[in-house]
Amino acid sequence: MTRPIRLLIVDDEARLVETLSKRLTARGLYVEGVHSGADALALLQGKPFDVALLDVRMPGMDGLTTLREIKKLQPLLQVIMLSGNASINAAVEGMRLGASEYLLKPANIDDVLAKIEEAFHKKLIQEERLAAQHGPGA
Amino acid sequence: MTAATQGGAKASLWEPSRLLRRSILALLLTPPACLVFLGLAIFFWGPDRSEAFFVPLLAALILSTALGWPLAAKLRHQLAALARQRDAFYQELLRLSKSASLGEVASSIAHDLNNPLAIMREEAGWIQDLMKGGDLQGSHTQTEIANSLQQIDIQIERSREITRRLLQWGRDSAPRTETVDINLLLNKTLYLLESELETAGVTVAKDLPPDLPPVGGGAPELRQVFLNLMKNALDAMKARGGTMTLATRADAAGLTITIADTGPGIPASSLDHIFEPFYTTKPAGEGTGLGLPISRWIVEKLGGTIGVESKEGSGTSFHVTLPVQAKKDAPGP
Repeated sequence: MTRPIRLLIVDDEARLVETLSKRLTARGLYVEGVHSGADALALLQGKPFDVALLDVRMPGMDGLTTLREIKKLQPLLQVIMLSGNASINAAVEGMRLGASEYLLKPANIDDVLAKIEEAFHKKLIQEERLAAQHGPGA
Repeated sequence: MTAATQGGAKASLWEPSRLLRRSILALLLTPPACLVFLGLAIFFWGPDRSEAFFVPLLAALILSTALGWPLAAKLRHQLAALARQRDAFYQELLRLSKSASLGEVASSIAHDLNNPLAIMREEAGWIQDLMKGGDLQGSHTQTEIANSLQQIDIQIERSREITRRLLQWGRDSAPRTETVDINLLLNKTLYLLESELETAGVTVAKDLPPDLPPVGGGAPELRQVFLNLMKNALDAMKARGGTMTLATRADAAGLTITIADTGPGIPASSLDHIFEPFYTTKPAGEGTGLGLPISRWIVEKLGGTIGVESKEGSGTSFHVTLPVQAKKDAPGP
């Protein structure tokens, strides 16, 4: 497991995306950031990612709608919902729609990193399982 | 009349004064009184006793009045008690809905505040990252640190704006006797929903002419009414965005506030029920069915009226008409 985790950050707070990207890049991740659900989907059309940090509340396409569309494009992509609201409802709804985790803003960088790594491992396991299902000769 | 349907502002069946009038009428024309009158009249009806016909008639009238009057008085008394109970019930509902909507507002504000907090945390963290990296003298690092510090300051300013808004919300729970500047109250209420409106893609069109006459008191209650109506408008447009119109107008009827949305509209079958307690068209868990009944109760307590117009496919408008405050320099008694 030598390749860096490919992380996509989706949040309408441009400055948050920028600084979080810098900090996570400094921690060895490959990070790209976009500021809307539509931009995220456009990027995911042609580029694989391992983990996405996805804001729940965004103007235009909201986080839950984006999540649904992301799962259609890249079913194995692990999505961590980022919520500025202490309300648990959106987080639960997100998990129901296939998100693997959620984080409350303002989050601690160590927690963010731990959840990203955990999600990445989950993805690797899912990939292995899928490969095993298709059999060695497939 | 356009295809738009109207409803809502009709007095409800259990409106005490109306019920009282109907009851007195019913008592005076009560079936037993009529039977007594008819029976006696038939008994005395005859060619040689024609004057006696009037005696039972008079007796029946006196009897029904004598019986009816204390009954009516009792009924009036009970209705007054019922009205007091209804008022207490709505007071309690108002108190509950205030804390419920405060909860919603608090949740929205927590969200607004958590965003700048998240940015500040990352900026502070980035400075720490750079410090751990060692080379603090490099011009790149210096620029990065200065940049992050400036960003923290920007986010503090943003947070301060949010807390200022919150403080304003709490501030005018002052006396009922003061006059209320309706446009100011509408704007203050709007502030609270601004970020939610933006997220939902709702633009706000304001037609709030200056120099409107003030209305007499009830600011905290009216704010509740406006918040209810604006939140309904927002909910109606959450799926597809739209325009929320806030308009005020003064005429002979008083001051009319219109809060309109461009949502899907309310079906005619629902329109007659929307002011009934616990009637809601929102998904389970989202609407209590109390916002509009409480709003109507508040508006009527303040001597005003509330009405609704809705057209399926093009939106809903609520109109609140309030009596304006008499001129301040009028001589007192």
